[in-house]
Amino acid sequence: MNSVAETILDVRNLAVSIATPDGVVNPVKGVDLTVRKGEIVGVVGESGCGKSTTIKGVLKLLGPNSTVTADKIELAGHGDISGFKPRQMNTIRGRAVGFVAQNPFGSLNPIYTIERQFYELQKAHRTGVSKRESREIARDMLNGVGIVGPERVLNGYAHQLSGGMAQRVVIALATTLSPKLLFADEPTTGLDATVQAQILDLITGLVADEGRSMLLVTHDLGVIAQYCQRVVVMYGGEVVEQGSVMDVMVSPQHSYTQQLIGSVPKSGEKLNVAR
Amino acid sequence: MTLAPVEGAKIRGPKRASGPWRLVLGRLGFLVAALFGVMTLSFLLVSVTPGDPARLIAGPLADETQVTAIEAELGLDRPLGERYLDYMGGLVQGDLGDSYYSKQPVIDEIASKLPATLTLVLLSVALAAVLGVVVGAVGAYFRTRWPDSVGRLFTGIFQAVPDFFLGLMLIYVFFFVLGIAPAPAGQLAFSETAPARVTGFIPIDSLVAGDTSLFVSSLKHLVLPVLTLGLVYAAYFAKTARTTVGRALNSQQVHFARAMGLPERTVLRYAFVESRTTIVTYAGVIFAALLGGEAIVERVFAWDGIGTWALTGILRLDLPVVQGMVLVAGALTLITYTLLDIVVGLLDPRIKHA
Amino acid sequence: MPDVFAAPKGRQFRLLVKEHPGATMGVSFIALLLLASLVAPLPYDPTATDGSSSLLAPGAQHWFGTDGAGADVFSRVIAAARIDLSLALAGTLLSLGLGLPLGLMASGKGKGSEWLVRALDAFQAFPLLILALALVSLSGNKLYMVVVAIALINVPRYIRLMRSEILSLRESRFIEAAIAMGASTSRVTFKHLLPNVWGIVLVQTSLTIANAIVVIASLSFLGVGVSAPTPSWGGMIRDGAGNMASGEWWIAGFAGLAVLLCVLAFNQLADAIGDRTARTYR
Repeated sequence: MNSVAETILDVRNLAVSIATPDGVVNPVKGVDLTVRKGEIVGVVGESGCGKSTTIKGVLKLLGPNSTVTADKIELAGHGDISGFKPRQMNTIRGRAVGFVAQNPFGSLNPIYTIERQFYELQKAHRTGVSKRESREIARDMLNGVGIVGPERVLNGYAHQLSGGMAQRVVIALATTLSPKLLFADEPTTGLDATVQAQILDLITGLVADEGRSMLLVTHDLGVIAQYCQRVVVMYGGEVVEQGSVMDVMVSPQHSYTQQLIGSVPKSGEKLNVAR
Repeated sequence: MTLAPVEGAKIRGPKRASGPWRLVLGRLGFLVAALFGVMTLSFLLVSVTPGDPARLIAGPLADETQVTAIEAELGLDRPLGERYLDYMGGLVQGDLGDSYYSKQPVIDEIASKLPATLTLVLLSVALAAVLGVVVGAVGAYFRTRWPDSVGRLFTGIFQAVPDFFLGLMLIYVFFFVLGIAPAPAGQLAFSETAPARVTGFIPIDSLVAGDTSLFVSSLKHLVLPVLTLGLVYAAYFAKTARTTVGRALNSQQVHFARAMGLPERTVLRYAFVESRTTIVTYAGVIFAALLGGEAIVERVFAWDGIGTWALTGILRLDLPVVQGMVLVAGALTLITYTLLDIVVGLLDPRIKHA
Repeated sequence: MPDVFAAPKGRQFRLLVKEHPGATMGVSFIALLLLASLVAPLPYDPTATDGSSSLLAPGAQHWFGTDGAGADVFSRVIAAARIDLSLALAGTLLSLGLGLPLGLMASGKGKGSEWLVRALDAFQAFPLLILALALVSLSGNKLYMVVVAIALINVPRYIRLMRSEILSLRESRFIEAAIAMGASTSRVTFKHLLPNVWGIVLVQTSLTIANAIVVIASLSFLGVGVSAPTPSWGGMIRDGAGNMASGEWWIAGFAGLAVLLCVLAFNQLADAIGDRTARTYR
């Protein structure tokens, strides 16, 4: 990994506040993040630590009762996007930044065919795309994510797919417009263990092949160790530690990181069984 | 990169070819069975209901011989089984009996009154659906902000107001105070005569007859009754739409669509197609409930439909009319539900064509 | 959300009032109306007519005006609460009394419950108002038949509601756990299922009262059920219906307003209970 590679995403002091009936909560407080070209950055932390909210905040995908502030959100080729209006954000979403969420069934529209969903996506970002053209691109994309016989999938609906297939379709959709950066929010949650590895291999492979970068949100340190170059550890809405995976894993500085790493059972370790 | 290819052929294929037809045939089979049930119930309702129709018809001053004579005339003295077979036999031939009062065949009376009711109900459901879905969807989109609060206030009020009372208030405001609505005298003013009967639907028939002023008058007479039912049932639509559209707007597929940079218009459409089956179902249920359920509103506006006809029939114990109404409303409801099942099955790919 | 049930009694009440102002106002209104109709001295005898003072507009003498027969509309609107609300409560109690056991029976897994639901579906296909009207009118206008008619309309709703709720509850872990631990059917039903459906049953009961008030008003509006000279809101709307087109809005107006406010009150109460139940579940 070249450590002086071009910076793709630079987030400074990102904060999110959400107004609830019981008052304002701050799930994300002053987060700094950097993603360089060709790099996979893992974001790890317990449930509710603000890791998903952080990436949704960057894309301004949080609801109307939330406020996102940042000193800057610099996206290569687009400048500082922190002040972008919703309409401007739509030129970033999907086109500059792809998004893969957990639970693939939920991500797909249940009423439209898969083909239609590819068409809607391309129609939104390219003027004058024809249905025939869109279908050909969709077929190529499905081939690219390892789906054999994509025609039947294109004519079918989300509920007819298996979980792994649905997530492959979602990944195909997320990369259709060749974004340089991918956000993956726990992309394997809810899938079978064997399928999880396939999906992670697929998505990291797509990143490596095309010279993309990725922010991978997970709570699984094993995934971080296997796939990421750098890791960001979040706790209570703040980044408590970040650095290369090797450094953080071998010599964690923050006590939460130490506990997190300590909680992973190691091979050969004797289990403390109460008698 | 190692990648295990996935068989596209594993996909559970949609049974497109036979699916819709199997659905339609299955539903029609159920429809026939259910119609038989409705026929039986409409017979039982009048035959074994507590009370003595002959005595009620004869009035409190009648003596036993008069009551017996009425019983014989109505066929009430014959055994139940025989009457049942007679009744069902007649129904199969399209004979619903004759009204005790007008002596006209019930089926003819229904045929002449049904168009007026259908006009009213169809337009009211259309108004209620459009108005209610807009208010509900806007409320869902601006949840807990002012458009939502205003919408919910009106929804709450119109859900609580009895439709016939709202009709009276509208008559007071728009006819008496403002003078912009015609008198509540039915489908046309007293002074006007109905156009030659072609379809039975007065607005259409007056167009066929080439009488534009009659057409306009018939539309004016529709405004208040349609507004009455439309406002009340729009409140129900709004409540349902707010919940279902709200749920769809919060669904992951909508979040994903937004994350893919689809314009807000398309995102809203994604949310709407997810909730449309619920809304269509609701429209069907309301349509069915209004057939007969709008009888009192018909009465308030002197609307000459089957609602008014049935109310009059019930109040003077015209048993064949009561049976006819129950039968027609039951049958129309069943037909509506059957059509609904088919439409929803075609609108939503998730519903299995079983 | 502040947890109402964890707070001390006095504060509990204040929190409830603050969270559900609509329901609080509604319940107060109903209580006041009932109290007034039962014990308060009315300004005029609600059944007394006076030909010399007919169709007087609302004013200092007659707060809500007088009707065509010269009776005081205010006194009649208050007095009508007695019969209208008690019939509504009676009808609701009967609906609850029949709907609860039938709902439990229909929530079994057997074929029988399947058929019962099918039969209910077919029954719902009838125009219920026409059916209720036919029932009351064929019975020779007996008041108890109004109560029966309300039950006829509302019992199927209880059954459907309880069935769908219990069927989904049966799938949940804690019921499975109870069965796995060897709890008897009756124990599961009474200790585990029923306590969890009380919330929605209460919501439905509040809605049933609202529906009953409208059914009673509709029947009396058509001249069935409560008959003159006993004052009823539906009957007053009937009396004043003809006057609407000639401008005397107050006869039907105030009676209709009473119905509207009562229904609004019980709907608000249902919303508040539903809100509360939904939160306890979480």
